[in-house]
This record gives sequence, structure tokens and C-alpha cells, in this order.
Amino acid sequence: MTDTALGFGLGLRTAHYRDFIDTPQRVDWLEIISENYLVAGGKPLHFLDRIRRDYPMVMHGVSLSIGSSDALDRNYLSALATLIERVEPAWVSDHLCWTGVAGINLHDLCPLPYSRAMLDHLCTRLDQVQQALGRALVLENVSSYVSYRADEMTEWDFIRELCARSGCELLLDVNNVYVNSVNHGFDPRTFIDAVPAERVRQIHLAGHEHHGKYVIDTHDHPICDAVWDLYAYTVGRIGHRPTLIERDDHIPPLAELVAELDAARALAAQTLQCARAAA
Amino acid sequence: MSAPLELQRRFQDAILQGELTPGLFAVEDAAQEGGFRIYLNAYRLRLTEALRDNFPVLRAALGDEAFDELAAAYLAQHPSPHRSVRWFGDSLTDWLEQNPAVLPHPALTDVARMDWALRGAFDAADSVPLAMQDLAALAPQDWPEQRFRLRPGVVLLPLTWQIEPIWQSLSENPDAVTEAPDQLEHQVLIWRADLQCHWRSLEAPESAALATLAGGGTFADVCEVLAAYAGDQAAVVAAGLLRAWVEQTLLGRDDTASTSSSCTKIPII
Repeated sequence: MTDTALGFGLGLRTAHYRDFIDTPQRVDWLEIISENYLVAGGKPLHFLDRIRRDYPMVMHGVSLSIGSSDALDRNYLSALATLIERVEPAWVSDHLCWTGVAGINLHDLCPLPYSRAMLDHLCTRLDQVQQALGRALVLENVSSYVSYRADEMTEWDFIRELCARSGCELLLDVNNVYVNSVNHGFDPRTFIDAVPAERVRQIHLAGHEHHGKYVIDTHDHPICDAVWDLYAYTVGRIGHRPTLIERDDHIPPLAELVAELDAARALAAQTLQCARAAA
Repeated sequence: MSAPLELQRRFQDAILQGELTPGLFAVEDAAQEGGFRIYLNAYRLRLTEALRDNFPVLRAALGDEAFDELAAAYLAQHPSPHRSVRWFGDSLTDWLEQNPAVLPHPALTDVARMDWALRGAFDAADSVPLAMQDLAALAPQDWPEQRFRLRPGVVLLPLTWQIEPIWQSLSENPDAVTEAPDQLEHQVLIWRADLQCHWRSLEAPESAALATLAGGGTFADVCEVLAAYAGDQAAVVAAGLLRAWVEQTLLGRDDTASTSSSCTKIPII
């Protein structure tokens, strides 16, 4: 099985542990939030091991803080490496963001300035992280609600430049592209067109919330039509990639998420069929 | 200071202080202010929710509004240094002790202490419990010098107030009406068995005996401590306690190594 054959997955949440253990689910693989399992023992690791027996997994972190100006947290990297040994994930990802400086964690995925200085910083840090983990790190584009005076390029140029300079792979969050396109006023297809297709390892889909002039990446709603359309556009352009639906709040019964995953599967298949017919 | 560091410091300070300073964002209008507010609100909400999750009974005792006020005051002085919100609140009980005026009753510090200890037992390291057959295998001459070990996550929690009745009521029903507890210096035992966390109040003899074990004492030391309570019946009492501790899986085997990650996995590639 190759990585691109991983198919369609869901984020593993505690509310669904029992469903995954009791009954085979129409879910090809699972993504775990790494930090939830950086503990010594007890239920988190018990259920992780039990469910890992039946499902391929990938690890998705939220606090590497790759873009932070603080020194890398070696204790965190070491704990992450131990978890990697335990889970043997297909790949490991985190976010293209920073989460705090001066030893503080804001526990949020704060946007980076799209500057050359930050590109230099990221390339150095990525190299250090990959050496510490002994494997490649996949990075996800994040949602944002502000843009900095220090920006020197667009988000997509920044990502394209990062891939070219560092060789890093991407977790392309289609919902985040859509959210940013509304919040910052650009055509989301411009972003998708600019992403180096060969570097996309995984796709994320999720729901969001409208809040006045902003769209907020809340992961608490089903995927909306505009994001489905953008997903179809993405698959049409770059082909199939392992696709995952994230839900972090208002978590519904698993069957609802499996049905949403079926919709993603069907849309991807239909898009690829159309692309083949047109070729 | 590098440009990225200066930007991150300014953004973070604005979040921590709840106030935006000019010069950071591309356009400084109401819309960008609105964007910043999304980060600010999310920060406060996320950390408050983490504290609610980590201190569920304190939250029930205080009610949501008072708890959230307390959380905001704590957060203002203790931003998280942790990689996971699971650890946020590790200084809360110390902070409550130093700031008693933030609580309507001092016994609530004990409630916070118990919340945190149970949180610790929940994901403490796994280990193999000592079994009755392990005791049976001990040679008679080895008993006096035997040092039994408490398993990770077993906590002897000193409390100043008899909070167990309100704990019980609020755990079962967060809206329960409770009476103020009496003052009583004692200890509560907290442990995890079969993935479930448990607690029970300790009487003085058992408390002293477990403290002796926790301090690295031998079984003979335990018997000596118990003699102060049970006189020449100390060995019988010690044997009874030991049996209960083994049944409740409080004690660990020395050769314990159960955090093994060598579980069967479905192959990926």
C-alpha cells in the first residue's frame, strides 16, 4: 500500500473510541492529535494501542511552534519521537504557524508573517526538527484573521517558496484556504493553483462558522458547499490525496462523520472520473 | 531583536494584555481589530475550558460564572508554559493558597487539590500490580526487609477539610446543594485501577502505614508505625492492610514494564 492509497480518514476523538473498537467502520485511517497522547499511561495510551491494531494512523501535532522565535523544545521533540515509535504513523504533521514565545504557549495556531526572514527561519528549524524526529515533517496551512504589516508576499507564494527551498511536504487544508479567501479577500482557486501538487501529502476538510465579516475555522459544523466545491477543484488539479475530515466540537455520532466521509469519497471519485473522461 | 521575534512578542503581549498596539497589522481599521479579537477571545475561551476540564468538581462547587472569573484571574497571572492544555492549572492550588480571597470558602482549595490529583492518576504511567501470589512467593525471612512500592498515580493527598461529602454530591450532580465542610486534617488516597480512577478517605493508622511505604520504609517499619495504634496486634493489622492494598492494586511489582509499545499494528505501507 502506498501513502496515496491510504484513502479517506477521520480524526480520532474520545467520543468514538468505543465505535472503532466494537465495530469495523468504513474509515480507511485515523489521524491522532499527538499532544493528547504525550502522557505516561492510562486510558489515552490504552485506547490508542487498541485502535492502532485495526487502523493505520498519522500523527498531527498542534504545538511544535515551528515558526516561533523561541528555541525548539527538545523535551517535546523527544516525547514526540517516543510516540512516533509507539504509533509507527504513516507520516507526522504539524502546522505552519507559531504558538507562543518567551516560554509561553497561547495554545493557538498564530499566523506567520509571510516574509523572507521567516522563510529563512523556517528552513533552519524544519531541518532541525526533521533531524530530531529522524523523519520528514508535513506542514499544514492555517486559518488566519489578521495580516501583518511585515508581509512581503502572499500566503501561497510563501508556501510555494518554502516547499522549493526546504523540500517540505504539505498538509493542504482546503477549509483553511476557503476561510482565508473570505477573510482576506482572494480567489481560493488562485491558492490551490499555486500549491506545488507533488508536495501535497494529505488533505484536510472541515466545517467553519460565519461570524460577522469573518469566517472562523471552528471544526464544529459539517463541511459547507463552497468547501466541497473547492475540494473537487483541488482533486481535479492535483489528483487524489489521502483526505481527512476534522471535527473538534459538537462532535456528532460517528455514523454522521462516516456519511460525510462517504460524500468526500464519492466526490473525489466523480471528479477523477470526469478528469479522465476529459483527458 | 529579529523582525519575526519582535512581531511575535508584540502579538503575544497584545493577547496577554487584551490590548492591541499600533504598527503590527497590515491595515489598522475596525476589521483588523475584529480579526485580533477572534484570537483574543479564542485564547481566553480555550484556556478557561482547559481549566474547567482539569477542575470539574471545583467548577461545580463554584458555578460557571464564579469559576470563569477565577479562571480569568488565574490566567492573567499564569499564562500556560505547557505543550498541552492537559497540564494547564498545575499552579492553581498554590495560587489559591496564596490568594484565599478569590474563594468563598477555604475548603475549596482542597477540592482543587483533589481534582488535580485525580487528573494526575488518570494518565499516570502504567505498571504491573503486585498480586497475592507474589506475596505467597516471599520467603518468611524476607518479609521484614521487604519494601513494597506504591504504583505511579497512587497519591496520599493531605486535606485540611472534610470535603468528601461535597465531592461525592457534586461529582454525581454538579447542581447539588451542599453544606460547608468541617475542618479535619486527614488524607485521601487516590489511585487508578483498570483504567478507572478511585479515591477513599484514610483513617490515621492506614495513612501512617502508607506514608511509611511511600517514604521507602520496609514492612517492619510499617509494623512499627502501626504498633502506635494497634499495639501487639500491629502485624495482624499490617497483614490485613497489605491484603487490601494488593486487592486494590495500589502496589507495583519491581519488574514492572507494562508501558511497552510493542502492540500488534495493521501495516501502513
